[in-house]
Amino acid sequence: MRKQNNPREGKKRLAVRKVVLLLVLVCCLVLFAASFGGRFGLFHQLTFESLGPAQKFFTSISSGVENIWDDYVALWNIRDENQRLHGIVDQLNGKLNEYTEAYSIYLGLIEKLKFKEKESFPSITAQVVGRDPSYWFQTIIIDRGVNDGIVKGMVARNENGVVGQVIQVSSNYAKILLANAPSSAIDAMVQKNRVRGILKGNGQHYVLYYVLKNADVAVGDRIVTAGIGGIFPSGVPLGYVSAVRKKQRGMFQEIEVSPSVDFQRIETVFVNMTEKLKWEVELQTQPLIGP
Amino acid sequence: MLFVVFFLVAFFLIVAMTTFFQLLPDWLGQPDFLHILVVFSAYRFGWAAGLVFAFSLGWMLDVVSGLYPGTYPLQSVLVFASIKLLSENSPLKESAYQIPLVGISYFIAQMGFFFFYSMTLPGTLPPWSWNKIVQDTLILLLAAIPSFVLFGYLYDFFNKRKVIHKVISKRNANQFRRDQ
Repeated sequence: MRKQNNPREGKKRLAVRKVVLLLVLVCCLVLFAASFGGRFGLFHQLTFESLGPAQKFFTSISSGVENIWDDYVALWNIRDENQRLHGIVDQLNGKLNEYTEAYSIYLGLIEKLKFKEKESFPSITAQVVGRDPSYWFQTIIIDRGVNDGIVKGMVARNENGVVGQVIQVSSNYAKILLANAPSSAIDAMVQKNRVRGILKGNGQHYVLYYVLKNADVAVGDRIVTAGIGGIFPSGVPLGYVSAVRKKQRGMFQEIEVSPSVDFQRIETVFVNMTEKLKWEVELQTQPLIGP
Repeated sequence: MLFVVFFLVAFFLIVAMTTFFQLLPDWLGQPDFLHILVVFSAYRFGWAAGLVFAFSLGWMLDVVSGLYPGTYPLQSVLVFASIKLLSENSPLKESAYQIPLVGISYFIAQMGFFFFYSMTLPGTLPPWSWNKIVQDTLILLLAAIPSFVLFGYLYDFFNKRKVIHKVISKRNANQFRRDQ
């Protein structure tokens, strides 16, 4: 059976609706009135103030979510990216090594070029291709021989000083006895006071012999060639005094000299070709003996 | 074939000793592999082949090292002959004595070398250094163990091939021979 509506309740509801509608209308009117003329009034500000925190809250949440999402998505590619970057780093390290090596070679070549420009003697550049494996002898092998004009007795130098003397030659190679070998002897002098002596090797460093005890020689003094004998010009560096010993007995002092050339690391030498030129001049000036 | 193979090994060793072995740090030393090879040849090679081999090694070393040609071939031949004489028909031939003999022979060879130069050409060599020679000898002893293994393997490998080749050649030669 259908329930019948009470006419009193119906009227009451209708009245409430009318009141609400009226209130909404009033509010709209007030808001409209407040905004009239483009003025940002109290209600605007209230609205603004109530919306602001909500906006802020939602913005922070959304940006947080966005960040998390971005990070998560980024993780997908991070491994590939990492591998790619490692590859680039390796590649760049390889290039850096190459450039460092090339730069050091360049610096070495610059030094050699300066040396060659500075020195007046005619020379030929030679590469060291082998070293003496034994403890007893100090020799190196260079890639120049008779075909390049090398003859026995020629002097080898580098930018740091005297390297040695050619002792054996073949067509394309030559053996050089290093200056620090016990069998080599060079006329030398202390550069600061021209005190002379004989410089001999002992396999590792030099010893300057026959320098009188009263001669003023101190650690650090520079030893150069004396220029006697015509093999070396005077003033070519040989080394520095590393120790001076004066014994009670004897006339001479014991002077230990550190070589200016690092004999373990010689890569290139300049062989002085003056000897060859001398021979050629001698051959030209000598009268030919006919049959 | 064996001679050629070991000659090539010696050639390679000389090249290595004069080039990239020089880059090794001082404490590691530069073992004299040629001495090891000479001792090995004294144990395995016959007199004729061994003498020629030892002389060739000394000859090659003479070219790349030293001042006065002839000393290294003499040293090599003397070392070979001494070890050959000592080891023939004696317990020194046993493998247990082979490595110690490398060290002893090296030490004596160095002393002989120094004595020879001191008598004939004084002032040519650097002063005798016990530390250096003893250190070199110890390093040589260490290097001798794998070297002997390697040389032994090479020797056996090529010797076996040689024997097989001989057997095959003999069979082929007899294949069509008629018995009288």
